[in-house]
Amino acid sequence: MLTFQESGCYPDPRCPGPSAGTPPWLSQSSPPPASGNVWNMAATETQFMLSVGLIEKDVNGDTLWVWCFPSVASDLRKVLLSKCCLTQDARDFHTFVFGQFCRTWYYITTVEVQEPTALNKVTHFSIVVTAKDFNPEKYAALSRILCRMYIKHGSPVKMMEAYVTVLTKGMCQSDENGSFLIKDYDVRKAYLAGSVKDVVSQFGMETIILYTALMLKKRIIVHHPRIEALLEFTRVLPTLTWHRKDWSILHPYVHLSDPELEDLKKCPGYVAGFVDPEVSNRLDLFDVYVNLPDGVITVSQSAKESMAMGKLHKDIGHLIVQSAEDAERSDSQVIKDISVKTKEILANLMALADKCEDSKITLEGLKQHHFPPATENFLFHLAAAEQLLRI
Amino acid sequence: MEEVDKILIHALKQVGTEVSEDTASVKHLTGELIVEAVARCIRVIDPGLGSPLPTSLPPGMSARFRVGTSLAQACQDIGYKGEIGYQTFLYSNEPEIRSLLMFLVEKLPRERAEASDQPTGKSVVLQRAVAAAIKAQLAVPWLPPNCRLPLHAETQSPVALHCFHAQPLSLPHCSKGPGKDPLREVQDYQREILPPVTAQPSHHASVVAYILEQHAAELSAAQEWDNEWNSQGLLSRLTPQEYRSRKLIRLRKRVEEQLHSAALPSAEGDFGPRSTSDLSDLLQAFRGSTPSDHILAKGSNFTHTQKFTFTQQPAAAVTGPSVPAGHQSESDVQLRQQEEQLSLQQQFQHLCSEFEELAADMKHMRVTNAQVLDELKQRELGNSENEEKMQLKKKTIDLLPDADNNLLKLQALVEASANRVVNLASQWEKHRAPLIDEHRRLKEICSNQDLESSRKLSEMKSLHDKIRVSTEEAKRKEEIYKQLVTELENLPQDASRSAYTQRILEIVNNIQKQKEEITKILSDTKELQKEINSLTGKLDRTFAVTDELVFKDAKKDESVRKSYKYLAALHENCNQLIQTIEDTGTILREIRDLEEQAMLMLPSVTSHQ
Repeated sequence: MLTFQESGCYPDPRCPGPSAGTPPWLSQSSPPPASGNVWNMAATETQFMLSVGLIEKDVNGDTLWVWCFPSVASDLRKVLLSKCCLTQDARDFHTFVFGQFCRTWYYITTVEVQEPTALNKVTHFSIVVTAKDFNPEKYAALSRILCRMYIKHGSPVKMMEAYVTVLTKGMCQSDENGSFLIKDYDVRKAYLAGSVKDVVSQFGMETIILYTALMLKKRIIVHHPRIEALLEFTRVLPTLTWHRKDWSILHPYVHLSDPELEDLKKCPGYVAGFVDPEVSNRLDLFDVYVNLPDGVITVSQSAKESMAMGKLHKDIGHLIVQSAEDAERSDSQVIKDISVKTKEILANLMALADKCEDSKITLEGLKQHHFPPATENFLFHLAAAEQLLRI
Repeated sequence: MEEVDKILIHALKQVGTEVSEDTASVKHLTGELIVEAVARCIRVIDPGLGSPLPTSLPPGMSARFRVGTSLAQACQDIGYKGEIGYQTFLYSNEPEIRSLLMFLVEKLPRERAEASDQPTGKSVVLQRAVAAAIKAQLAVPWLPPNCRLPLHAETQSPVALHCFHAQPLSLPHCSKGPGKDPLREVQDYQREILPPVTAQPSHHASVVAYILEQHAAELSAAQEWDNEWNSQGLLSRLTPQEYRSRKLIRLRKRVEEQLHSAALPSAEGDFGPRSTSDLSDLLQAFRGSTPSDHILAKGSNFTHTQKFTFTQQPAAAVTGPSVPAGHQSESDVQLRQQEEQLSLQQQFQHLCSEFEELAADMKHMRVTNAQVLDELKQRELGNSENEEKMQLKKKTIDLLPDADNNLLKLQALVEASANRVVNLASQWEKHRAPLIDEHRRLKEICSNQDLESSRKLSEMKSLHDKIRVSTEEAKRKEEIYKQLVTELENLPQDASRSAYTQRILEIVNNIQKQKEEITKILSDTKELQKEINSLTGKLDRTFAVTDELVFKDAKKDESVRKSYKYLAALHENCNQLIQTIEDTGTILREIRDLEEQAMLMLPSVTSHQ
């Protein structure tokens, strides 16, 4: 029997989750599903799926990459093997982890094989699904189905049939008297699955540091020894900049290895999660360091100047804290409040830009408005982040 | 003879002479071979002497004669004492050749063990390890991409290749003035802020390129210095520092000379910095001029001194603080100094403002750079996505005219491909599953064998220990045996062993008999005692019964009373009798003991007396 340890994160799609019913303002721009023809829907969604792979640990203690479809490049394979908890010496067993490498999202589900089964000599196995999009719930559900099939039949062929069915039709039969439909897993649900209120309750006013860093596209590194906590926390952070809806900055599970760090450095701004505490010594990798178990946020020296905060930030901070503390408001409403405020600031910025020629902001133009220095600094860097600055 | 010949021929083969396999002795060597062998040996023994010697005999007679004499001369130079001349090589003679070859082979330097020559030390060990690793990597042959095994992935895959991009590195020992320590600020900078060499390049992969370039530059600079020092420096008979400082002064003068000659046409006493175009003209003039030695060498001493005096003024003008002429008045000096101070302050202010501007520019640049990079990245991603979408839409448009039909065909195609792929997967599974099983099985066998072998090793170890212990025991026992044997030999031989053994055996027999008698007596005594006990018991019981009976009747009858009294008295007397007998026995025992004691005392008493 497969069980999930984390209750809040990956809700079963058939029961309504805590953020029940996406509020209308969130689902404005999603395309209405074409009636009837399943092929239409599948076309846009399934082209995100890239490959599926199988890692097994046997009675000899070896962990081998035994099978994949269609193919996985060798460097990605190395990274995936390092992420799979079966290759790590520690006894921790992580049922579900996900992360990003070279703009590919990977989702790894690990299962312990219980007797009796068609698989002999295998003690544990992991199923790796790689895809272009961020949707942990969808791929977790898919992986569960594939795992069950693999255990039942002992051969990856049946598993592959299900995968190909999902690839071509966007749905497949699961052996639990139901079916897995891709359209049940809207990407917005994935974006909203985390809890902003938890973040704000842990950090209070310091949440404004995270907000500023995300708005200015800075590099944030989060550390926690437990991977599940890391995944849960980091996936929430991009919701603070809801107007961008960009989860490609999220690298929730990174090790301190050269290929991964090279890949990380290619992104100008990111939110990266590390299990290894050594990362706090790598000052070249971050502008903001979040020590999650201790609840401490540090800004690195080189970024202090651009992250200077003033009255504007205080206001935003108060707004965030107030909105989160209100027990009546749900997570998505808190996100809405924050994004309303963000839109306000951006509208002001756009207004400033329109006043200048070729609607681009310059530092001199900002100086003319005599903002307080922290606000001016923030607006300057924000203009650069939003690509409104004249080059 | 044969042995000697074999050794000689083996040595010649090692030197490099092509001796065929079946020449077993010296007399089979032809003239050419002899010449070749001798020449090669001499080359190895003394390269300077042997290099002009030819290894083959030329055809002409006079040439041969010359070659022969030169070989003979060379042999004599090395130290061959025997008679040798051109005839030894041209008209060879077996014993002579043998002795010559023996001499040469003995002279060949022995191969010394490499390890004893080379110094040890951690850095040498590391260098050797690096050399070994590189050698191993270079020894791996190049394979085309499809044939590569994972062990080639590191060195041969395209991922391993990087462009050779090199830029200068800053190293702490580079900034040196001859003989003076760097400034404290520079030292602080080098200690605290300057990143290590591996962090200085912008890409981690370019570290190798940077280091190779830096090393090559340093190496060539060192070699050039060596060459120069060995050729000119030693001749000048100066120490290296003096030579360097003189060279520096010389070069400085040359530069000043050039600048002066180029600056003279323009306004003299020109203070401020020259514009870029003037500088490039200057450099052009400098480059285009004839080698500088001419400038100094041409002309008489007079013109030289003239030029030198002239250099001082404009040099002062260009390089800043002027050397005050001796015969100027004090106030003038002070005025001039104040003016200088003002101008310097102005320059300083100017520099500060420039610095601030630059800092602001840099900040702006950094931010805009980030924005541009970000935009670029987004556009690139957008481009690739759009390209894919376009491809898809293009294909869809091509299929649109006959939409329904094509849709059906496409569905059928997709289903067919899906089925085919699943089919292929099942076929692959048929191959894969046995292979994986085989792998696992072999791994298991391997680990079992490991267990077995480790168990056997431990068994062997314990056996070894046991053997060791047993050998020690055996040795010890041997020694004891030897000791006892010697002791036995030293013992007196007069008493015969058999007499002793007879006596011992007799004594043992006697003792045995006595033991038997004692046991018999003891058992008799026990029997007697038992009898006594039972009789006493019977007596007591009988008396008790009789006593009771009689007493019962004694109350009534007088005669019974009297008989009762007689019974009691009888019993009493018999008891006394028995008591007396027992006492007698005890006393007899005491007498015996005392007699024994007296017997023992007797010898000591007599000795006292």
